Amino acid sequence: MIKVRKLEKWFGKLHVLKGIDLDVNPSEVVVIIGASGSGKSTLLRCINFLEKFQKGTVEIDGKVIDKNNEKMKNAMRTHVGMVFQHFNLFPHMTVLQNVIEGPSQVKKISKAKAVEIGKYYLEKVGLSDKEVAYPSMLSGGQKQRVAIARALGMEPSVMLFDEPTSALDPELVGEVLSVMKDLASEGMTMVVVTHEMGFAREVADRVIYMDDGLIVEEGTPEEIFNNPKVERTQEFLSQIL
Amino acid sequence: MDYNVSALIEYFPYFIPAAWKTIEVTALGILLGMVLGLLTAFSRLSKNPLFNVPARLYIFVIRGTPLLLQLMFLYFGLRSILNLEALTTAVIALGIHNGAYIAEIFRGAIQSIAVGQMEAARSLGMTYRKAMIRIILPQAFKRAIPPLGNQFIIALKDSSLASAITIKELLLKSQQLASSNYYMMEMLTIAAIFYLFYTSIFTWLVHKIEEKLAVSGSR
Repeated sequence: MIKVRKLEKWFGKLHVLKGIDLDVNPSEVVVIIGASGSGKSTLLRCINFLEKFQKGTVEIDGKVIDKNNEKMKNAMRTHVGMVFQHFNLFPHMTVLQNVIEGPSQVKKISKAKAVEIGKYYLEKVGLSDKEVAYPSMLSGGQKQRVAIARALGMEPSVMLFDEPTSALDPELVGEVLSVMKDLASEGMTMVVVTHEMGFAREVADRVIYMDDGLIVEEGTPEEIFNNPKVERTQEFLSQIL
Repeated sequence: MDYNVSALIEYFPYFIPAAWKTIEVTALGILLGMVLGLLTAFSRLSKNPLFNVPARLYIFVIRGTPLLLQLMFLYFGLRSILNLEALTTAVIALGIHNGAYIAEIFRGAIQSIAVGQMEAARSLGMTYRKAMIRIILPQAFKRAIPPLGNQFIIALKDSSLASAITIKELLLKSQQLASSNYYMMEMLTIAAIFYLFYTSIFTWLVHKIEEKLAVSGSR
């Protein structure tokens, strides 16, 4: 589904990704953990080309994406959903308009059909009663659930989550994680960058630990959390668990 | 000093054609300024030097020189080449002058929209152009309204400079009348009343638009 090969990225002189190889299989939930500055968010943003990178390739659904081909990148993004740390909802649109914007404007689905899709996914995230509300009227947790519904509205084959709960008040984290858990149990392919170790342990098929622009260790949650083999992983986990 | 209140009433009707002239110059000037301003804002934001260098130069020259000079430059300076009518000249000068300021207002408003908005739009597969039209500009316009309102009021008052190139707008009219009836203070008062009337309407209108937009989807 996703194949990242020898990916390298520099921010100016700063070498932030130093050769990443990553495979994500259909229906797999991959959770990326690591300290801030380890490059995990940058890696996620390189997968859908929101971030430019200098070396390596990204292959999605069997196609190597050409970074100079805008059309190809736009087409790829229609089936790679993304959820951001700061939600990035469109403040000038209602909740329902946020969700149908992609289907109607990008996929050119008829308005009626897009509304149907929009309502379906809002119900899925438990926000049917907020259709006509504006994002400013919602709590952080509700905003993030709308953002998830917006990404799902495009009916993507994979979802990328960039620290989806990091900007939330602690009591609102649960509702977002539970939506993500439901999604995972339905077989959605997911790549999640997070600091929520409980979520990683419970939901991930595979956990990846990144440090200093490299994948240091990967394995099942049991392998990573219970028997980390690499010293750096052990140190990181001992600090946060 | 004598101040003849009845002269205010007596001469008020004489100002009405001039009041229209002021509105004409201002409205057309603002219209031209908006078009130039939007185009320049986009050129200025473009990464292509073919677009952004001329835009920078235009803003640099126009913001750095007085409107009165620009008016005279077009009207007297270029008379031998262009030979424009006074009214056309006034509209063009006011348009070019305001275009530079409006460009900066739009540019600032567009740049003030968080990067995440563009990223979210692009992540749905939107092209840059579509994201601009559907997501960035509607928010930017809303943010541009208060400074635009300000700029329109400035443009209205600046239209008085067109008197220097023979446009019979409020200020020139007051001077012409005063030179024959010697009620200088009174004639200036009438002109001032008109300006205040216009600016009050403008301010009220901008306020109403802001209010309306605030209801539909504030942050």
